[in-house]
Amino acid sequence: MAVEIPKRLEDLPTSARRWVGRHVQRREDAALLTGRTEFIDDVVLPRMLHCAILRSPFAHARVVKVDTREAESLPGVVAVVTGEDALRWSHPAITAPDGWGTHCIAAQKVRYVGEPVAAVAATSRYEAEDALERITVDYDPLEVVADPFRAMEESSPLVIEEKGTNVMLQRVFTWGEVDRAFADAAHVFTEKFRWNRVGANPTETFGAVCEWDPMSLDLTVRGSIQSASHFGLGRAATFGLPSNKVNVKSHPHGGSFGGKGGTRGTDIACMLSRKAGGRPVKWIEDRMEYLVSGGSQAWDRHYIASIAVDGDGRVTGLDVKLVDDLGATGEGYGAISAAKPLAAFTGPYTIPVARYDLTLVATNKLPASPYRGMGPPPHFFVLEQLMDIAARGLDIDPAEFRRRNFIPSDRFPYTIPSGNEYDSGSYEEVLDKALDLAGYAELRRQQAAAREQGRIVGIGVASAIEPGVFDWNAYAVVGMQGTGVPEGATVSIDVLGMITVRVGFAMEGQGQYTLVSQLVADYFGVEMDAVRVVQLDTQSAPPSFGPGGSRLGVAITGAVLGACERIREKMCAVTARLMQTEPANIELRDGKFTVKGMPGAEMSVPEVAGTMLARSDLLPPDVDPRPEATHVWTAPGRAPADEEGRAKSYLTAAQAVHVVGVEIDPDTGFVEIFKYVVCDDCGTRLNPAVVEGQTEGSVAQGVGVALYEEYVYDEEAQPLTTTFMDYLIPTVNEVPAMEKVAVVTPSPFTPLGAKGCGEGAIHTTPAAVMCAVNDALVPLGVLAREVPAAPKRLWKLIRAARD
Amino acid sequence: MKPAPFEYVAPTTVEEAVSSLSGCDGEAKLLAGGQSLMPLLNMRLARPDLVVDLGRVAALDYIRESDGRLAIGAMTSKRSVERSGLVASRQPLLHAATVLVAHPQIRNRGTVGGSMAQADPAAEYPAMAVALDAELRVVGPDGERSINAEDFFVTYLTTALQPAEVLTEIRVPVLAPGSGWAFTEVARRHGDFAMAGAAVTVTLDAGGHCADAKIVLFGVGPVPVRPRGAEQAVNGERPGEDLYRQAGRKASEEIDEPLSDVHASAEYRRHLAGVMVRRGLAEAVARAAAARGDA
Ligand SMILES: Cc1cc2nc3c(=O)[nH]c(=O)nc-3n(C[C@H](O)[C@H](O)[C@H](O)COP(=O)(O)OP(=O)(O)OC[C@H]3O[C@@H](n4cnc5c(N)ncnc54)[C@H](O)[C@@H]3O)c2cc1C
Repeated sequence: MAVEIPKRLEDLPTSARRWVGRHVQRREDAALLTGRTEFIDDVVLPRMLHCAILRSPFAHARVVKVDTREAESLPGVVAVVTGEDALRWSHPAITAPDGWGTHCIAAQKVRYVGEPVAAVAATSRYEAEDALERITVDYDPLEVVADPFRAMEESSPLVIEEKGTNVMLQRVFTWGEVDRAFADAAHVFTEKFRWNRVGANPTETFGAVCEWDPMSLDLTVRGSIQSASHFGLGRAATFGLPSNKVNVKSHPHGGSFGGKGGTRGTDIACMLSRKAGGRPVKWIEDRMEYLVSGGSQAWDRHYIASIAVDGDGRVTGLDVKLVDDLGATGEGYGAISAAKPLAAFTGPYTIPVARYDLTLVATNKLPASPYRGMGPPPHFFVLEQLMDIAARGLDIDPAEFRRRNFIPSDRFPYTIPSGNEYDSGSYEEVLDKALDLAGYAELRRQQAAAREQGRIVGIGVASAIEPGVFDWNAYAVVGMQGTGVPEGATVSIDVLGMITVRVGFAMEGQGQYTLVSQLVADYFGVEMDAVRVVQLDTQSAPPSFGPGGSRLGVAITGAVLGACERIREKMCAVTARLMQTEPANIELRDGKFTVKGMPGAEMSVPEVAGTMLARSDLLPPDVDPRPEATHVWTAPGRAPADEEGRAKSYLTAAQAVHVVGVEIDPDTGFVEIFKYVVCDDCGTRLNPAVVEGQTEGSVAQGVGVALYEEYVYDEEAQPLTTTFMDYLIPTVNEVPAMEKVAVVTPSPFTPLGAKGCGEGAIHTTPAAVMCAVNDALVPLGVLAREVPAAPKRLWKLIRAARD
Repeated sequence: MKPAPFEYVAPTTVEEAVSSLSGCDGEAKLLAGGQSLMPLLNMRLARPDLVVDLGRVAALDYIRESDGRLAIGAMTSKRSVERSGLVASRQPLLHAATVLVAHPQIRNRGTVGGSMAQADPAAEYPAMAVALDAELRVVGPDGERSINAEDFFVTYLTTALQPAEVLTEIRVPVLAPGSGWAFTEVARRHGDFAMAGAAVTVTLDAGGHCADAKIVLFGVGPVPVRPRGAEQAVNGERPGEDLYRQAGRKASEEIDEPLSDVHASAEYRRHLAGVMVRRGLAEAVARAAAARGDA
């Protein structure tokens, strides 16, 4: 049965929308604020054990011998596992690109600091950690490779010997006649950029409770897991179990942002449970484990990039060469981050041709993970610096330069050279509103006056695209399979008309349970509180990927509305029978099924549901008597990528312009943000309160990566930033107060016209802050090419300029 | 991140605390606000056999004024110091140093005595204590003694306290009339330990020349550093930007090789120390001038 999902807010069967599109307070919050949400560390199961993991202090070493005898004899210790157990019971992690995975516990050698070498399950975490101190490991240190350029040399030590190289992937994508564009250009600008390792830092680290039933061989994993179904498939592959033997229940979690990797710890806890005769084993990753060896790190990038510009200030080509240091293995899906820029390679601009020279390299650092935005944020940092460099070269105002190159509103849907199609946009309007709110002309006057006084003041105007609703086809180039990412929901109305929605994803902080309630409440004309949202585990839930790739808001809207539509059809048939007319004459509006043109002839939703469940005698013979339906939504019109990686991948393209004002202290190199303005367009805003929350958090993370955050390693690949004293996340004191305004250009392709907006501002913020920093540095004749623009770096630049 | 096993006692008097310390065969540690010690325990960087919790020694929580000095009990929280009207009016440098320590949550628990005894080279309190010529009162098995701030800080994270001694009180003189002061620092984020900082006090003589300049740097050496050459360069001189700049340069030259870490190289720290001296002097002189005007 094909269902028609409402494409516009006006298509909802209500004459007065009360919830969807309104500023609705999140229903998740009361439990969160009163401490009643059950996070994974709150879970206590009978006979549960606690896991602690022994980790390598070396970045590269042979594991000669692991002696666990003393640890095993300690009171409270129930099970100990080592690399031998991993070899016996598990397979190496599945990776993209393929074949760059290792076992969850290092068997023959360790490849990064923090890699597990053994683990203990004991009756308390204290005892487990005591036991770790009694395990002796003989290491034979090997030469370390901490630099991707060194790793590419013939003489470099190999991180994974069997591969015969440290290069995980080397490809050049050419979209159009790039060489000609550069040869014909009036101006070409080329720069080198460095984006240092940063990454996700959710409030809650990863945790899991694993149970391996020794009789049935069922594996049950509870955890703070972002994508339960994906995670379940991974565990099945790791342990060679049938996928229906693995049940994953994701718990509400304290954010993810890509950092909820946790596969190694989970697999270790699973093996400990197996050894402990099936007792549940809890592993809670502590913050140091997270920072050194968790899902904490992403985007360790070296860029050389060029743009070609014609005499009128139109960009005619983009050429980006990227060397991305993915660390020791491919297990964290860091490669995906390097592929995702294909979905928005040329940003919001009409750049007709482009080239991407991509090299992914293994070193002895922590395997890279995803981070909010998944890879375009560094790409846009590079693109936007080049846009500014070109604007300065041509003596055009940076805002005007962008306007000249924006994709005009009348050219959507618009296909970019790297193959993705942007659904809609009003880029100039977004720019105008941002400039207006910022008082751009006045800002420039203030800047000129400040410069007269010798102050270092800059203004950044940057724009970026947020690809929304990811599709696996976007990652075909790094070896991911498949097209489409299904998300399902089951909507059920009970005999009294109360509505329950069953979904397969856990609360992660983006307010989707609220969104589900909003949708159903407006669809059936009930109060939001009458809608209950229930989460199912992977063995019960409809197909679900969950949050990720700015998709869930759109996808769950499609799933829920699809299920509602299916129920409506059934109910129309029942009502028609009772009203003795044809289903086509029945209409749902404001919670009532009415006969068209017969005022007063109506039944409420509870009446119809009650009839369906308690008066089978009144039902038409061919109608499924359940006021319940499941709908599984996936983005329409997707197809596999071609050989140059081109595909309609991400369904939506949100756009934003940020205007930032900074002042740099010439004596210390410190940056102060004195102005921060956001204008964004993510289509229909299903719950503006949530969109704004996502924006503010994402700006905060963007400021973090632009100015503060950096995972530092020394030449021996020893991590130097292992606590929050050294890895600096901006606090409320550092994140600027921001002014926000929005433009709404609905997507023609999505349920209700909404676009992905969860990753949001981090696409634009680092670029915009760095544009402002570099604008400030113009009179000094220096360029900040490295992110973060930490004071030590800016001080050096300023000093060099003045010497 | 769970501590290794240890014994725990929670005495209610200083005497009991001292006897617990001296009665311990292995290593004993006092626990005050726990804001430094707890992470060290959890990371197993500190592995005492005995933890003596001072949290119930109520007699060590006070702020009083007598004989031109403020006496502050070792277990007084930094938040209490921050909120004390007495401190703000009688020794504003102490107030200024306090609000730069960490965040409100940490100041709620962290104590005055803990910050002194921890002796972190980048901490505000040791520099404050040296700048104000504080006196530290200590009780041990042999009774009470007092230690001068400048003698208290020995090297990185090391003080003149003996293993069985408890720091009970810190005494700082109230601000002298006519005195100008400043407490400046640069930290990556608000509330972080400083990359470099300076506590400065100065007065202006009848002719408007600088006098009694005292400069104490922190974050740049193992203990608070007094660049005496810079102090001398200031005394007797007419205040002004050139003088501050020159003093700053001198101060940064006087420092031994400063710390180098991921946030700041030794060279950058040295430079920042000079900037802090320059800015601190300017601020302190402005206050001294205002104080003279008031008088
Ligand atoms: C996130 C964070 C940021 C911070 N930022 C700063 C900062 O910017 N500046 C700063 O100065 N500090 C900072 N701190 C440290 C904080 O100020 C601590 O409170 C302080 O260093 C120790 O005080 P405490 O009362 O917590 O002592 P504890 O941690 O309990 O003890 C510290 C040490 O002092 C000893 N000790 C405590 N009391 C006595 C006593 N009465 N006699 C003898 N020995 C004693 C203990 O045995 C221990 O060795 C920060 C801490 C955190 C967690």
